Amino acid sequence: MGVTILHQFPMLENRTGPQTIEFLTKRIVALGAVQMGQFLVDCDSYISMPSLGPQRTVHVLHNSEQPASVFSILETNTKTIPLVADGLFDLLMLKMTPIYTKKVAKIESKGPRFELADFCIKLGSVTISQNFKGVLVEVEYRPCVVPSNCVGLMREFLQGFLGSCVQSLPACLQNKMDEVYQPMDTIQQYLDHFLNFRKMAGYSG
Amino acid sequence: MAGLPGYTVNIAVEAPVENQIQEISYDGQEFYQTPLTMSESLTKLAAKIDFSKTGCEDIKKDPETSENGEDETSKDAYQSAIWPWDSVRNKLRNAYTEICVLADVVSIAKEKRYMVFDPIPQEMHEQKSMAQVYARKKALAGAASVLLTAAERLRTCQTEAARNRAVPDFHIELLRLRQSWRLKKVSNTIIGDLSYRTAGSKYAQTGLFEVTKAEDEPETSGESSPDPGGIARPASALRVIIPSELQGVAYIGVIVQKDQEDLCSASITSLGERAVNHPDLHWRQKLESAQNVLFCKELFNQLAKEAVQLHAPIPHMVLGNQIMASMFPGVQLIIHLTHSTTGGNVEKRESGFKSEHDHVLEHSLHQLLREVHHRNTHHPFPHPSSAPLGPSKRRCLAGPTAADRYQLLEMTKSQTLLEQIIQQAQHFFLRIRTEYVLDTIIKEVKDPIIVSHWNALNSPCVSCVKINIMTHGYDTVCRTSLVIQVADKSLKCVCRDGRVMHMSYELQELRDLIFCQIYQHQITAVQQLARCMGWQYLSNSTHLGIGAVEPLGNASSCILASPMGDRLIAVRCEPQGAVQVSIAHSPKKDFFSGQLVKERKWENLGGAFKEVRWDKMEGKNFLNKMELLMASLTSS
Repeated sequence: MGVTILHQFPMLENRTGPQTIEFLTKRIVALGAVQMGQFLVDCDSYISMPSLGPQRTVHVLHNSEQPASVFSILETNTKTIPLVADGLFDLLMLKMTPIYTKKVAKIESKGPRFELADFCIKLGSVTISQNFKGVLVEVEYRPCVVPSNCVGLMREFLQGFLGSCVQSLPACLQNKMDEVYQPMDTIQQYLDHFLNFRKMAGYSG
Repeated sequence: MAGLPGYTVNIAVEAPVENQIQEISYDGQEFYQTPLTMSESLTKLAAKIDFSKTGCEDIKKDPETSENGEDETSKDAYQSAIWPWDSVRNKLRNAYTEICVLADVVSIAKEKRYMVFDPIPQEMHEQKSMAQVYARKKALAGAASVLLTAAERLRTCQTEAARNRAVPDFHIELLRLRQSWRLKKVSNTIIGDLSYRTAGSKYAQTGLFEVTKAEDEPETSGESSPDPGGIARPASALRVIIPSELQGVAYIGVIVQKDQEDLCSASITSLGERAVNHPDLHWRQKLESAQNVLFCKELFNQLAKEAVQLHAPIPHMVLGNQIMASMFPGVQLIIHLTHSTTGGNVEKRESGFKSEHDHVLEHSLHQLLREVHHRNTHHPFPHPSSAPLGPSKRRCLAGPTAADRYQLLEMTKSQTLLEQIIQQAQHFFLRIRTEYVLDTIIKEVKDPIIVSHWNALNSPCVSCVKINIMTHGYDTVCRTSLVIQVADKSLKCVCRDGRVMHMSYELQELRDLIFCQIYQHQITAVQQLARCMGWQYLSNSTHLGIGAVEPLGNASSCILASPMGDRLIAVRCEPQGAVQVSIAHSPKKDFFSGQLVKERKWENLGGAFKEVRWDKMEGKNFLNKMELLMASLTSS
């Protein structure tokens, strides 16, 4: 369990999604990384009934790195409430269908998972209901739990194989630099990117 | 109708062929009535009979008068043909007559003037009454005799019980048995259960035993046990029948063996030396020993199963009643089950093993199986009550605390009984060895005093020892302390400055470490002492690169200068314990101006170091000698 940075890799015009993943895989393997299985992060969003007052959205996320947990983020107008629960939460959501009607298509990021010394790299292709949307690169530096102590190192590492597109840190890490990193922070980063993808999909389609 | 053929005319008397027409429809079709069946015509005829006619004569006369008028000749034939019910009518008429008479009698009796009703006295049973009395008397006498004999038996029983109180009562004994053992009645026998099934055991063997009343026990035991003390002990009124596979004595011995030489052993015996399989053993001891046999069998069965399943680098061996597992190279753990039904054999073997009995391993073997039993019966409650039953509390919390998959994998690992007992035995072995090594070092090294404190509280697999190194008389000046954690396969040493050193089970490493600590202690102590004496230390090296190569570590040294700066002391400490001390004077005593160094001022550079003959120095120990040396050099 260490600090994780999630970064979106820009898509080039002449490359498809699998080609991009393959291109990045080659670069990482050249650095000496070894593939250790696959990973999957998915997100379901439930929107409350309009008749029950102001609209609320519950995002339910699963991360294969924490297989026993279900992460959920409740968004109201004023604040967001994160919650980590066990697998029974999914069953609970099924019971809540009268209140939260599922409206949004499932979005997920999955792909190969690599390990390189203390780093764990995941190359995920983001799909919304089987339609490819983009590439998210997750890098975890496992020996450290305080972001401020290792973001410099991690940015340098990311720039090493992603190139100059890596500039700024994730927004949600900016104000938590000196706190102990939690698995929920990873989920928050994923959710931010997923919402961006959804917005873009909404504009384009 | 038969008549004379001469002057009679034949008249055809027959019923019309056609049935009666019931209806004629508009198209001329006729609907006939269906002809009457025999029963229908009978009822039709019976309906014609008028039973209500009061006089019997009227009924008789009526047809007669009517018939008289019409046709006299056909009277006989008519009577016989039309009245087939004559007998019925006669009976009904008789009944009617009787009823009429009875009504008359009742109406007369009601007036109570001429007739009165009286009950008829019953004299039927009077003849049999005497016989009945005799029968009853006989039955009562029989019942009384049964009761009397029972009372007599009870009285004799009571008087006998009063006479010798020592003879126990069966029912009281049964009550006592019931208080500590599970019993149930199956038809006419009492069956008990001594297995650990209710405590959570899943061992297949049943521990059923039967309880009977010892009727002829006193006679047989009196004959068969003329041994000393046989009469003094009261025979029990209960007899317990135990299945043959649970009889006798069993125990599990644990031996740690190194190169065929026992280092320590433990054995489970609840009965100990008194474990003799006597027929008139008290039921309590009998049941306890049987239960012990069952427990030992279950434990051994479990261990043997695990020994076969475990994949150790050196595979565990199961040979008959013996399990061999290797703990360290050359060191084996032997667990054996001995079950014998004859007392003498056990005692002999036991005395062989009893050289170094250890209660700790015995206890932990017990404890391990009982923990398994406990876990089988006590499941943690599911936290939302709808959650599945079974996962441990840590597994339940894994979801909300977002445990990653490495942590989840760790949770699934569980140790088997054999692994745990091997681990404990390894720790036990390593602890004994560590104690031995420390004690020998303490005996060998006299100059700095080494004190070891073993923590009284420890876990079965980790214990802790604190080691203090100090010099007698100077313990406030300098003290080196370190802590050694003894785990199952390795040692971990934590020094005062925070250095952590990991060592394997080879205890030469510990020995080397302690010796390094000793000479480092000496050098630091000299420096501390110099500070107290007002001397200053000029240089200090813990890893001296010069001199002979040490077999272990490096020598360390320091150079001290007197307060005036005119005397120098150099100390060199070697890990093997040797100490060299040399001194030098700053204005050289033996300065002679030569061709190269002519001027007198060069004598202040200090001369060559001369070694002090340390064994000739006064003083109780190294620091004391150093103190005396410094004092003498300061004053002069």
